[in-house]
Amino acid sequence: MATVHAGAILTPEERLARRRLILRDAFSLISLFLITAILFILTLLLFRSFTNHREELGARWKTRGEIALHAGHPEIAIDDLRSALAYVPSRDTEIELASALADAGKTQEATVYFTTLWESAPGDGTINLQLARLAAKDGNESQALFHYQSALDGTWQGNGYDRRREVRLELARYLIARREYIPAHTQLVIAAGNAPDDPAIKLEIAGLLEQAAAPRDALGLYRSLTARADPPIAALEGAGRTAFALGMFRIAAESLRRALAAPLATQQPDNEKATVHEMLDASQRILALYPAFDLPPRSRGERVLSLKRIARERLTECAGSSPAAPPRLASLVSRWDQLQSGLTPPELEQQPELEQSITQLVWDTETLTAQVCGAPAGDDALLMRIAQNPAAVEQE
Amino acid sequence: MPDPRIQIGAIAPPDTDIAGITAAPALPTPPVSARSGRPSDRQARSGLSATLDRIAPTRDERLFLVLSIFIGVISGTLVVAFRIAIEWIRLLTLGSAPHGGQYRLLIAPSVAGLIVAALVIWFFPAARGSGVNQTKAALYIYDGYISFRTVIGKFLTSALAIGSGHSLGPEDPSLQIGAGVASIIARNLNLSRRRLRMFAPIGAAAGLAAAFNAPISAILFVIEEVIGSWSAAVLGSLVLSAISSVVVARWFWGPEPLFRIPSITVRDPRELMAYAVLGVFGGLLAPVFSLILGYLRPRLRALPRWTLFLQPAVAGVLVGAIGFFGFPQVMGTGYDVIDQALHGQFVWQILLALVFLKMLATTLSFSSGTPGGMFAPTLFIGAMLGGAVGAFEKHFFPHLTGTVGAYSLVGMGVLFAGFLRVPLTSVFMVLEVSGNYSIVMPIILANTLAFLISRSLQPVGIFETFTQQDGLDLPSMEEQREEAVLHIEDALQPATVPLVTGSDTLQRVAQTIAETHASAFLVRLIDGSWYAMSADELTSASATLTPEAPIQRALQPDRTPLLFPDMPLDSALHYFPRWPLLPVLNRASRGTLEGMLTLDDVLRRYRGGE
Repeated sequence: MATVHAGAILTPEERLARRRLILRDAFSLISLFLITAILFILTLLLFRSFTNHREELGARWKTRGEIALHAGHPEIAIDDLRSALAYVPSRDTEIELASALADAGKTQEATVYFTTLWESAPGDGTINLQLARLAAKDGNESQALFHYQSALDGTWQGNGYDRRREVRLELARYLIARREYIPAHTQLVIAAGNAPDDPAIKLEIAGLLEQAAAPRDALGLYRSLTARADPPIAALEGAGRTAFALGMFRIAAESLRRALAAPLATQQPDNEKATVHEMLDASQRILALYPAFDLPPRSRGERVLSLKRIARERLTECAGSSPAAPPRLASLVSRWDQLQSGLTPPELEQQPELEQSITQLVWDTETLTAQVCGAPAGDDALLMRIAQNPAAVEQE
Repeated sequence: MPDPRIQIGAIAPPDTDIAGITAAPALPTPPVSARSGRPSDRQARSGLSATLDRIAPTRDERLFLVLSIFIGVISGTLVVAFRIAIEWIRLLTLGSAPHGGQYRLLIAPSVAGLIVAALVIWFFPAARGSGVNQTKAALYIYDGYISFRTVIGKFLTSALAIGSGHSLGPEDPSLQIGAGVASIIARNLNLSRRRLRMFAPIGAAAGLAAAFNAPISAILFVIEEVIGSWSAAVLGSLVLSAISSVVVARWFWGPEPLFRIPSITVRDPRELMAYAVLGVFGGLLAPVFSLILGYLRPRLRALPRWTLFLQPAVAGVLVGAIGFFGFPQVMGTGYDVIDQALHGQFVWQILLALVFLKMLATTLSFSSGTPGGMFAPTLFIGAMLGGAVGAFEKHFFPHLTGTVGAYSLVGMGVLFAGFLRVPLTSVFMVLEVSGNYSIVMPIILANTLAFLISRSLQPVGIFETFTQQDGLDLPSMEEQREEAVLHIEDALQPATVPLVTGSDTLQRVAQTIAETHASAFLVRLIDGSWYAMSADELTSASATLTPEAPIQRALQPDRTPLLFPDMPLDSALHYFPRWPLLPVLNRASRGTLEGMLTLDDVLRRYRGGE
């Protein structure tokens, strides 16, 4: 602003000029202020319309990208999501873009992208899960396991409880695929322990436990479902199947019978029904053959003698088919020869030790003949199943 | 009628830009008076300044600061509008998601090139070329004059060119728009010529600060590349204008930096080796880029006049072709692509391809005379180079390197230092746009290496190359920065002349002078001040005073200036007509003599003698 030096002595003409200068400067500054204000308002209007348009574009491209991604068109989704990010940057869109890259098979780009995201948020569950998948796809087991574990320990948006369980199950599937059953079993046991009372989840876990060579745990889960008022048919079948595999034929028979009697059984595929039928028949036949301890002594004796006859025939057949019988078979024949002939059920009733030794001889015979002469068929095959775990047959 | 002696706008004549296509001036044609520097204009200006100095001696100084804020606010607003205009044009011409195979990528830049060429040749000849050099020319040649037409032309033509996909950046035009706004405002307030000159860089800082959303970098750039020296007189105004413009820009864009920077840390000191490799690559690439630009630009300008109408269009077709055949990332400013590189969205092979394609596209666009700047392309190429080097190193040495984004970030600074030759700005620019000071060591290391390698391979910087091609002789800021400034201590001599005190009698002093045959001597006064007296002056005084009179009664009222060893040597020069010699004092101890200076000592030092 125009000011006057304290010591200056001005002429009247200069004072007039100074006044005019002050007025002019004031006018100039006011004009400048008004110009600034007008310019600012115009820019603001332009900016608002521009910002709104950008947001619309961002939302539009994001929606398109997500639709393309879910429709299985990751290549299209990549372009759309990149456009969305150019207008409205967001972490979700970045993760979706990286996922689209991964789905499109651009593993290296996706890995680089996810790694960059991970470096800014190493505890993010989604990013770790995606990195785990990429590492698994790349065959990098240590990285995959590291990121799966980080995903389990990480933070999740929304329902972290469910997401962590899904990650755990995915990790278990990965381990099962790599035939690492022990760690897979561990993960599944944890998942089962934390699983809500949801039949679908329990069925999934039980199925994985079966794949992880843990049928006993699977059976436990199936049975927890079969105890419900309206058990899922898959649980009944699963319980029957696992019990059958474990030699628990009483449970198997009961479960399979219920499965076939379930209202939805008719809707099951034919081959599945046939399998269930086969297992049920086998189980029922086994239970009919097995000299259960809860049978009356006479009946049990009759069954023991029946088993003895079947096993003897099997041994005779096997020894006849092998010209040079191995020493183990010879030893077995010797045990049979030492056995008293012409035993009757009342005699056995009186000699429980003999009954026990005959039963054991039957199991040994079926086991050894199967090793020497190959897999048996018919009742021998069923006896062979019992022989693997005789104590389990009647477990409840 | 106002007093003719303070007629506002009397100095600057109406805009008289002329086309001058055959001469192909890249710089604004100055007003006739400024160009000719006629004595009558100079005298009118001097007379007006003298009048203003008399009736309002502090007016300039006060207006200078107030106007700096206005300049900052207006520049910031205009730069925001400029950026929005670019984005709108981009949406309208290239669509919201340009990708390979779209014919509009070929059509838009070529049609825009035709329009821009016509506008530049017929209406806005000064819009062509580098805004940095035009601002420097305004400062050093045209008394701070940048016409209103140039500002409008730069805004329109640059927005059209960049928005339609030419590979250029908005920062350089923003800088010139800011400088132009400052020039217009200063001219209309009839400030002194010295102030008028300084307004162009102040506006330039405001424009650049708003464009980068980084005030410190903008100030440093203007000091490093436009003004060339630190000056306390202008620093305050630079800061005010830059901060004002950034406040406005942030009001619109928000406080976020120009790019979304991922979390970056340096994990291991050994990682510095990897950044050093990046610095070396940047130092090697920058001269290549300079050489290509320096080679093509003059050759295109030397083509027949009619081709100037077509050159931007042809460049547009070629740049569009790069986009059409799968690399639309090279079109336009490329900010979003830099952002993607910072977030590791590309593999190193793509990044490397983008480095060379962007160099090609930018060379074509800029050399064709299309208005636009080199800052954004430099950042783009640097980011891609950094990303490529980082991704490559990460792929092959995964335990040695950190995030790819960090390399992209450092890469931006590397090329800024190597190509634009502004090492200090390059460091602060990266720090400001990232807001992350943990990466300062890699930046300093890589930028320094890039700067040194680039300068050793290509001694002439890119801005200097352009000014030489334009036939101008603007000062080289790079050389000016490193020029050794002589100080008083460089010419300082021990005080060999007689030293007397003010209370010594004339008789005694005369006797001393007679004994030593000295032509001059120094008098120390009781208040610590000094007086240098010649033997002739002593003789004159002896004729009027008694021999017993103290020498201080023979002294004139003035005293020798306060000079200290650290002051610039030239600051002593203008005292010699008055004083036969000058005492040089100690800053720590008032009145204590360090030595003395004579005119011969100063001249001998300037001639190179010791």
